[in-house]
Amino acid sequence: MMKAYLSAFRMRWKMELQYRGAVVGGFVCQVFFGLILVSLYRALYAGKPQSLPIESVTTYVWLQQAFFRMILSSDPDLANRIRTGDIAYDLCRPLQLYGYYYARILAQKLLGSLLRAAPMLVFAACLPRGWGLVLPASLPALAVALLGLVLGLLCVCTLENITVGITMRTLDPRGVQAMLNLLMTTLSGNILPLTLFPDSWQKAITLLPYAQLLDAPIRLYSGQYALAQAPRALLVQAVWTVILLGLGLLLWQKNQKRLIVQGG
Amino acid sequence: MNTVKLYLRSMQMLMKSQLQYPVSFLMQTLAQLVMEGGEFMAVLLIVDRFDHLNQWTPGNLYFFFGMMSVTFYLTEIFGRGITGNFPSLVRTGQLDTLLLRPRGIVTQVLCSAVDPRRVACVAVGVAALILGSRQSAVQWTTGKALAMAEAILFGVLLILGLFLIEAIFCIHSVKSIELVNAITYGGRSACQYPVDIFPRPLRLLFTIAAPFALTLHVPSAYILGKPLYGWPAWTAFVSPAAGGVLFLMLYLLFARAMRYYRSTGS
Repeated sequence: MMKAYLSAFRMRWKMELQYRGAVVGGFVCQVFFGLILVSLYRALYAGKPQSLPIESVTTYVWLQQAFFRMILSSDPDLANRIRTGDIAYDLCRPLQLYGYYYARILAQKLLGSLLRAAPMLVFAACLPRGWGLVLPASLPALAVALLGLVLGLLCVCTLENITVGITMRTLDPRGVQAMLNLLMTTLSGNILPLTLFPDSWQKAITLLPYAQLLDAPIRLYSGQYALAQAPRALLVQAVWTVILLGLGLLLWQKNQKRLIVQGG
Repeated sequence: MNTVKLYLRSMQMLMKSQLQYPVSFLMQTLAQLVMEGGEFMAVLLIVDRFDHLNQWTPGNLYFFFGMMSVTFYLTEIFGRGITGNFPSLVRTGQLDTLLLRPRGIVTQVLCSAVDPRRVACVAVGVAALILGSRQSAVQWTTGKALAMAEAILFGVLLILGLFLIEAIFCIHSVKSIELVNAITYGGRSACQYPVDIFPRPLRLLFTIAAPFALTLHVPSAYILGKPLYGWPAWTAFVSPAAGGVLFLMLYLLFARAMRYYRSTGS
C-alpha cells in the first residue's frame, strides 16, 4: 500500500526536476528580493539598533528566501482536475485520495525547496557578515532546526491539503486559496520576519500554525529558541501537524461523500 | 481617438463579463485586500519598531507606499493584457488572431483584459496616501496635485514598459521568464520605500535602468517637502517623464521583436 504513495511521490519528483531553467530564473529573482530586504533592514537598523542583532535578521531573510518554495507552491494540476471533473479518475484509484495528494504535494515542495535552497544558502553564506547567513548557534541547534524543518514541511502539506479540500467545495481556487496563501506569506514571516513583529505579539503569533512552517526552524537555527526550549517548539509543531492532518482528512472524507464531478 | 474609444469600449465589456460572477469576484477582491493589507501592515509594524527610516518619518513612508501601490495596481487593472496575459497569448497561439486585425498589437493586447479585483489594492494605496499626507502635514497646492497626477500617469507607463520586457522575451523564447519578475515585482517591493535608503548599486538600478526613483520618488519627495538628493523643485515636474521615455523605447523594441514572432501553431 505504501508503495503506491511512494511512486506518486517519485513521479512528482521527476516532474519537478524537468524545470531546471525555471529554477535558475527563480534563484536570481529570489536573491534579488533577498538583497532588497536585507538593505531595507540594514537602513532601519542604522537608524535604531535593536536588541536582536542584525545578523539574526539577515539570516532569517535568507532562510526564508531559500525555502520560499516550501511555503508558496501549490499543485495547479489538482485545482484543474477539480474544475474539469478529472478528479473522477483519481477517485477510481485504489488509494486513499488524501494520501495520494499528500505524497504529490510533499514531493513538489521538498524538491522545489531543495533545488532552490542549496544554491541560495551557499550564496548567502558567502556574503559579508551583517549581509548574509551566519552559522547556526551550535551543532545541536542545527540538528533540532533540521528536525523542525522536516516537521514544518509535513505541516505545510497538511495546510495545503486543507486549502485544496476547500477548493473541492467552492470549485474556484482563486478566492479562498488565494486568501489562505496570502495570510500564510504574512504570518509565516515571509514579508516581515516574525522576530520583528511587536514584542507583545510574539507569544500569540508563534503559536499559530503558520509560525510552525519556517519561523520555528529558523529560530531554532539561530538560537532564539534555546536548546532547552527546543522540545517545546518541536512539540507545538508536531501537535499542529496532527491537528491539521486530522482536520484535512475529515474534510476530504466529507467532500468525497458529496463530491459532484464536474464536466462531461 | 478611435483607439481610445475602442479601448474604453473593450474595458466596459470586459468589466461587465467579470461581474457576471459576483460572489467569485467579491472573494477574489477580498483576497487582494488581504494581500495588500498585509504589505501595508508590514510597513506599519516596521514603523512601530523603528520609528523612522533615515530622514523619512512614518507619514512619509506611508505616502511612498501609497504612491507605489496606487500606480502599480492601476497598471494591473488597466494593463492586465500586458502585465498578465501576454505569455499565455503567445504560448497558445492566440496572438495570431490579433495579427489579422487592423490595429496595433499593443493596443489589442491592452484591450484584451482587465483586472478589476485589484481595485482593493488601489484602495489600500489611497488610504496609505491619505494617512501619509495627513501625518506629514502636506500643504496641498495645485502644483503638488499636478506633480502627483503626473507621477502616477508616467508611473503607469513605466510599469507597462517594464512588463513589455517580459513580452519581448516571450516572443523569442515562448516560455515566460521568471527572471523579469525581479525588475517588475522586485521594483515594486523595493520602491515602496524611498530609493535613497538603498546601497548605491540598487539606487542606480532604480534611478537609471528602471527609473522608479525619477518617476515616483522625486515628485513624492517634492510633495512631502523633502527634495530627494537635494534636487530643485522643478525636477519634480520633469523627471517623471523618464517613465514615458522608457515606455517609448520598449514599445519600439517590442515592435521590432514582433517581426521575429513565430507562431507556436495549433
